[in-house]
Amino acid sequence: MSDFDPQEVVLRLFLRLRSNLKLGVSEYLAARQAAVEADFAADAEALEDTLKLIWCHSLIDYTQFDPAWQSVLAQVQAQRRRRPPFPERRRAASDLRQRQIESVSQQQSPVAMPQMTQREKRSDPEMRALPVQAPTLFMPEENVATLQSYYPISRRSLVYNWRYLRRPVADGPKTVLDIAATVQQSTRQGFYLAPVYVRKLRNAARLLLLIDQNGSMTPFHHFTRDLVETASKESSLDPENVEAYYFQNVPAGSVFRDPYLTMPVLLAEALATCDESTSVLVLSDAGAARGYRMRDRVRGTIRFLQQLKRYTTLLAWLNPMPESRWEGSSAEVIAQSVPMFQMDNEGLSNAIDVVRGQPLKHGNAGGA
Amino acid sequence: MTVVERLKFYGDRPQPESAHKDAPQQPEPYVVTEPLKKAVNLALFLRRPLLLEGDAGCGKTRLAYSVAYELGLPLYRWDVRSSTRAQDGLYEYDAILRLHDVEVQKIAGAERPSVQTEAEAEDPDEPPAQRDPGNPKHYRTFGPLGKAFRMRDRPAVVLIDEIDKADLDFPNDLLTVLDEPWAFTIRETRETITADEQHKPIVIITSNKEKGNLPAPFLRRCLYRYLDFPNQTDTLKKIVQRHYEIQSEAAPTDELQTAAADKFLTERKNLKWFKPPGTSEFLDWLKALHAFEDDPYSTGQLNADTHLPYRELLFKRQDDWRNSAKAS
Repeated sequence: MSDFDPQEVVLRLFLRLRSNLKLGVSEYLAARQAAVEADFAADAEALEDTLKLIWCHSLIDYTQFDPAWQSVLAQVQAQRRRRPPFPERRRAASDLRQRQIESVSQQQSPVAMPQMTQREKRSDPEMRALPVQAPTLFMPEENVATLQSYYPISRRSLVYNWRYLRRPVADGPKTVLDIAATVQQSTRQGFYLAPVYVRKLRNAARLLLLIDQNGSMTPFHHFTRDLVETASKESSLDPENVEAYYFQNVPAGSVFRDPYLTMPVLLAEALATCDESTSVLVLSDAGAARGYRMRDRVRGTIRFLQQLKRYTTLLAWLNPMPESRWEGSSAEVIAQSVPMFQMDNEGLSNAIDVVRGQPLKHGNAGGA
Repeated sequence: MTVVERLKFYGDRPQPESAHKDAPQQPEPYVVTEPLKKAVNLALFLRRPLLLEGDAGCGKTRLAYSVAYELGLPLYRWDVRSSTRAQDGLYEYDAILRLHDVEVQKIAGAERPSVQTEAEAEDPDEPPAQRDPGNPKHYRTFGPLGKAFRMRDRPAVVLIDEIDKADLDFPNDLLTVLDEPWAFTIRETRETITADEQHKPIVIITSNKEKGNLPAPFLRRCLYRYLDFPNQTDTLKKIVQRHYEIQSEAAPTDELQTAAADKFLTERKNLKWFKPPGTSEFLDWLKALHAFEDDPYSTGQLNADTHLPYRELLFKRQDDWRNSAKAS
């Protein structure tokens, strides 16, 4: 390992890990800069540690880094071993290859094993040193992400997205000191009289969550739980203004107050609190998880949606299944009558745009 | 262009003569491991923020003190709370005080206080005793990060403690400051504070991962090191020795140190902890063993004990307390 070239390793490794570790060009430049210094890249081990420091940002990242490091190091070493000692030799070798190809094309005989015969014919030792390029180098990097668990949206981005659901109304007590207005007022009057207070802002947005539970939604229970928890506890929404009702497959007649479907409430009663400014999010796979296309389900759902639209138009549907799986199932039909989004970061933020009354004007979001 | 001496952290050097007045005065009893030393040096070299994560009580915060002490650099600590905004670390502007001064001046008469010029002021970072309401600069105070940006002769160490406590936007707001061109603007005085090209602040950030992950763009900028608990008896003993050395007190006997460290580590490994004790708890516990009674706790007794003595120092939760009683 005398001629260990850190820069080459850095570049290869960067290309491989870039998308998985979410690295940018400046991270590459930083790694390059560090790799020049002997302190940080004296040998392979030191470089490995340096790159980990710069590129990995959690212990989980190490599990992606380690295999990539091993294979890149192996590649670089293998390539160095293969490199012929003199450039002339290399050219000679390529000439030889040219000659070999010609000879093969000249022969063109339907021999069962042409390579065997060639090797037998040529006893020239130089032939064995013939450089063969490893085909592995430009293989597309394997996607590690598929091996990880399906977690399209993190809790953090849930919390983050909820913050866009706001309807600030200044109707709290007059307790907030407006410093700028105070200074301005006393400047205008020429003397200071009293501080200027303004009313406290309150988030008046109301949210109604209707969540499909059990059955095909069982794998997504942790999403739905996170969704309800973040909306009611970790968002800027007033907890009183967040309501969650549960149903199975289709909300018909009655919905449930608890996720275990034991406390039924009449649907009409649940919707009674709904006014035209209430945002409604329906969370269901709409049959996409199992790929069903059932007329009953579609009809029941459409009827329910029509009932809902009498109360509010701020309505969106979140589907935990990716959009590619909706095709052919009831979800595809239902998506025609309601803005339906897949439940990832972008989908949720689009859905929240819809339920706050500012839908996207462009793009192909939703089916409505 | 002057060639700036590259800073290097060794972890065991005494403080240089020319230490800044804001540098920690007391030596920090800190045993720095090789990987951690390297992380610090890489952060010094690349001038990227160093993000430290790890269990509570592993010495994440103390590292900043150790670095600042050894390099003789000023240390500005910024404790993050849930209401902290990124601007608080840069500067605060006291408009109310200015308004107050205007009123007072009016009442006291037309006489204006003798105006201090910038050069006269003893410390440009602190507001002068005689404030002139005509000069908005007298009403701004710099936060930890703001002070670090104003350093001209040497960089400053900024410790941003427990960044995960802050609001969601906080790390992202911070990111815009801790990147090229390393500058921020004070709206009220129309000043732009730019960090010296050669002396950009050294930022050390700690996080407990209490409230989930930090945003990816922020993480991308940082160097990351996870601090493990010192899991070897020797390391623990080294930490103990360093502590007693600096406090110049009589250290517990080597026997007691070894026995205590062994006992502590086995307990830490074997029990199912809800809140595992950290290094600081171990030090307290050892101190209690050593000096609480008139005579130090006997080593033989400690090895034979099924219940740990001074359990109050190690078990901080009822379930841990109960587990310890059950296991032993």
